[in-house]
Amino acid sequence: MNDLDLQVKLGPLTLKNPVMTASGTFGYGEEYNKFYPISELGAVVVKGIAPWPSHGNPTPRTAEVVSGMINAIGLQGPGIEKFLHGEHYMPFLRKTGATVVVNIWGRTPDDYALVAERLEAEKDGVAALEINVSCPNVKEGGLSFGTNVESMQRVIRAVRAKTSLPLITKLSPNVSRIADFARGAQDAGSDMISLINTIPAMAIDIYTRRPKLANVTGGLSGPAVKPVAVKLVYEAARAVSIPVIGMGGIMSGEDAVEFLLAGASAVAVGTATFADPAAPLRVLNGIRAFMERTGVRSVKELIGQIQI
Amino acid sequence: MDQISRILRNDEMTAGYRRLVFLAPDIAKSALPGQFVHVQIPGLRDRILRRPFSISSADPAAGTVTVIFKVVGLGTTELAKAEPGVECAVLGPLGNGYKPVPGTVPVLIAGGYGSASTLFLAERSKTPGLILMGARTEHDLILRDEYQALGFRLLAATNDGSFGRKGFVTDLLEEALGSVPAPAVYACGPRPMLFALGRLLEGRGIPAQLSLDQHMCCGVGACFACVVKLKDADSPDGFRYSRSCKEGPVYPAEEVYCRE
Repeated sequence: MNDLDLQVKLGPLTLKNPVMTASGTFGYGEEYNKFYPISELGAVVVKGIAPWPSHGNPTPRTAEVVSGMINAIGLQGPGIEKFLHGEHYMPFLRKTGATVVVNIWGRTPDDYALVAERLEAEKDGVAALEINVSCPNVKEGGLSFGTNVESMQRVIRAVRAKTSLPLITKLSPNVSRIADFARGAQDAGSDMISLINTIPAMAIDIYTRRPKLANVTGGLSGPAVKPVAVKLVYEAARAVSIPVIGMGGIMSGEDAVEFLLAGASAVAVGTATFADPAAPLRVLNGIRAFMERTGVRSVKELIGQIQI
Repeated sequence: MDQISRILRNDEMTAGYRRLVFLAPDIAKSALPGQFVHVQIPGLRDRILRRPFSISSADPAAGTVTVIFKVVGLGTTELAKAEPGVECAVLGPLGNGYKPVPGTVPVLIAGGYGSASTLFLAERSKTPGLILMGARTEHDLILRDEYQALGFRLLAATNDGSFGRKGFVTDLLEEALGSVPAPAVYACGPRPMLFALGRLLEGRGIPAQLSLDQHMCCGVGACFACVVKLKDADSPDGFRYSRSCKEGPVYPAEEVYCRE
């Protein structure tokens, strides 16, 4: 069934299919390219890049919970210069032919702008930037920008001023009204939004009475968060005219279709990849199988087609 | 690399410890001592992550891979129940293993069920050497017979003194090092033991390799969960975090930053 139309248009960005990877769950692509050509995916979203190299948080950084996990990796990363020129990063990704989205973060709007400026200057192979204003695991930056509309907009505007690359703003679920943030991102010049980032969470070892994460708290991901994510994607998609990328606990093609119906134009697979390296491809094949089974010829016939 | 593997045997060795044999020809063919497999646990319904296990033996001719594990949590409790014939996804062989040093006598040092990891090295070792084992009690000193059958001389320590010396396995180090002409140390066990060992061996010119890890998620280097600290002169803090699943789990002892 090669006549299925899987292509999706995300504003200025066209993807050959709607399945992306979620930042932080796919490294910088190299590990999974050993299992299958990562260029088969709609897009590869790499782990967050800051102006500087960063250690990330102390260990333990993860704890498994029912139907998911809590992480506080804390954005360990090589920094923008090594990302642009180190052999395992952008130079490698260019060779794969994958559609690459670079997730960026910093402690101040200027930090984000600096990373955007460097990527703009060497943008060969970079399809879009994803602005991370929603990481719950770093002390400065991250979530502190993502829970206040004006702060978020300052970051988006600072980035927008430095690059013409398509911009995705990744939203936090940890806000009272997601529509305000979705609209705020749109108004500040973001070309699309992605959600959800992880949900702030914690777990305690009842025998040692200590938190299971060295960072004490972390972010919940995996199938446990999916219903929350579907609801927030639904609300965000109704609030804006820009495309929405949906994610949160997607394990199967059916899960992905649920996000598309809720209003997402594309989806990202995250935690599922830790359980199965081939999860993003399996999700893509699952979408194909669902379309064949139900007589849907184009992914576009699913986007936002929830019947209320 | 990710192979649906049939469980051929799943036997209790002694209370709480089990030996599990997979039919996984591709993994068996290339597995090296110190590497691990990442296993999707059959029957584990509401937990999605895999569990890593050191490879204790691999038989390329038979296509089998053996892991030895202690029943410690949900994953291993479920794995203990898996019947022969059951299939599960096994990813491997993963990580970097021990690198045998030519012209030396292997001194294996195992804390707790760390002996499950060093057993594969003993099996593939050209010359037998010493195995230093430490555990809480005699019951937890597993695989003693297996090492001795491979010609390795056993020195043991238990925390309660029920077998061997009362104390820690590191208490046996000097005696062991003094008893062989050109020792090379290969160790696997709890992090405090490995850090103590790393500090004891510092600057002595004895080749040493430590197998250490942290809570693991992806097993292939993508998630940055299982990092351990390595010394790094270029970092202002003197260390960097290294993904133990990919760069490790076995590291040259002199590279390990032996403090929490």
